[in-house]
Amino acid sequence: MNRIITFSRRNQKEILRDPLSYIFCLAFPLVMLGVMTVLNASIPKEAGMTVFRIENLSAGVAVFGQTFVMLFTALTVSKDRAGSFLVRLYATPMESIDFVIGYMLPMLIISLVQTALIYVVSLIISWIVGTALNPLGLLLSLLTLIPSALMFIGFGMLFGTLFSEKSAPGLCSIIISLGSFLGCIWFDADATGGAMLSICKALPFYYCTRSARSAVALHFTTDGWTIPFLIVSACAVVLIIVSSRVFSARMKADLA
Amino acid sequence: MMVETRHLCKKYGSKTAVDDLNLTIAEGELFSLLGVNGAGKTTTIRMLSCLSTPTSGEAFVSGCNCASQAKEVKRIVGISPQDTAVADHLTVLENLTFMADLYGFSKEKTEQKVAQMIADFRMEEVANQRAKSLSGGWKRRLSIAMALISEPKLLFLDEPTLGLDVLARRELWRVIEGLKGMMTIVLTTHYMEEAEHLSDRIAVMISGRIAACGTLAEIKTAAGAKDLESAFVTIAEKEGAI
Repeated sequence: MNRIITFSRRNQKEILRDPLSYIFCLAFPLVMLGVMTVLNASIPKEAGMTVFRIENLSAGVAVFGQTFVMLFTALTVSKDRAGSFLVRLYATPMESIDFVIGYMLPMLIISLVQTALIYVVSLIISWIVGTALNPLGLLLSLLTLIPSALMFIGFGMLFGTLFSEKSAPGLCSIIISLGSFLGCIWFDADATGGAMLSICKALPFYYCTRSARSAVALHFTTDGWTIPFLIVSACAVVLIIVSSRVFSARMKADLA
Repeated sequence: MMVETRHLCKKYGSKTAVDDLNLTIAEGELFSLLGVNGAGKTTTIRMLSCLSTPTSGEAFVSGCNCASQAKEVKRIVGISPQDTAVADHLTVLENLTFMADLYGFSKEKTEQKVAQMIADFRMEEVANQRAKSLSGGWKRRLSIAMALISEPKLLFLDEPTLGLDVLARRELWRVIEGLKGMMTIVLTTHYMEEAEHLSDRIAVMISGRIAACGTLAEIKTAAGAKDLESAFVTIAEKEGAI
């Protein structure tokens, strides 16, 4: 446990001391929150477009922010693998489980803090625009987003382990694009329907946004929250297991 | 004996990196593995520090088998890899504390060891500086201090002065000389003057094999040369490497 905490602390410091992580993980999502709120004010009510209303936007932006935590997870792991730092640590009593949890734990904390900040700003925006968000809904949505955070961290861990410092961010940007588009953060797939909705439903990102939005609205129905939450949780479990196994296998190969 | 290898071999596919290595290193000795790039020096210390599994043969550190008793071996070895393996965004103090914490030292012992490393390596002026902003020489010093903080009985220094300017190299030699006798040190290098200046004994590695091993005087006498560089060339020619 001591080694996990020590390694987690190191990883957390490495990320929090990189100015880029604030730009991508915090500033960019918050800017999008502001820009989309302004955009929403320009959309006539008759258009019936609700995706940019703060009650929907807040959860969407929170999921969008999590995709950047994935990027920084991938960057941290791939950077460590590229240099000799991991070689040094392999020669210490650290075991693969220490590495895996040591990478994931700080990322989860960063993701939770990030979502909390996005929701605080959303709450302030909701007071300004006159659509008061329920703080309890935001708190429950924050908890709902834990499996989603773990899923994205799993993706990051997997890419960081399998690919180089140069390739991993590129692959993450594909997931960021897919996640934000097919996760229905910036458009309403339920209103669009058809093949687009089917594609969105075939991927986990849609369920991240859906469960988080339902929680914000305190709308805990089977279709709106339970099933999406269970789907995201299952995906998170699979990705955590796969990424842990891949990391351990890579570590074994490095030591062969 | 601190290190003993018996017919140690490492193959990567059809390429033999280390071939039938039989070596003994006494406790407290500073032993240099001298050879050109690709001679098998790093592979040898990787096997001795449990970072690589031998294809055949056995390696022992302080009587523990590197393959079957890796946990015990890892407790007594420290390694400073070829590239400066430091956490870039952590300060010098934090890097040292991080390593001490990994070995489960108490808070008091960690503080004491970190302070000792800072003093021994004269790093007071950069103690609160992030590793990223350090010069190459300081980074190497930090890297060695990180390897030493766990109080290893056996220290591996893989090309410790590679890429350093002459002044930084001399300063690092002073640091390494200061460590002599306190623990066993295995140093890999391709700089003749470094091996000449620091080592108790030298093993010349050519194409994965030990072509000559002994004190500086013994190697020079055996090769009939007046300095290590000439001896190295003579040995390499004899081995068909040139």
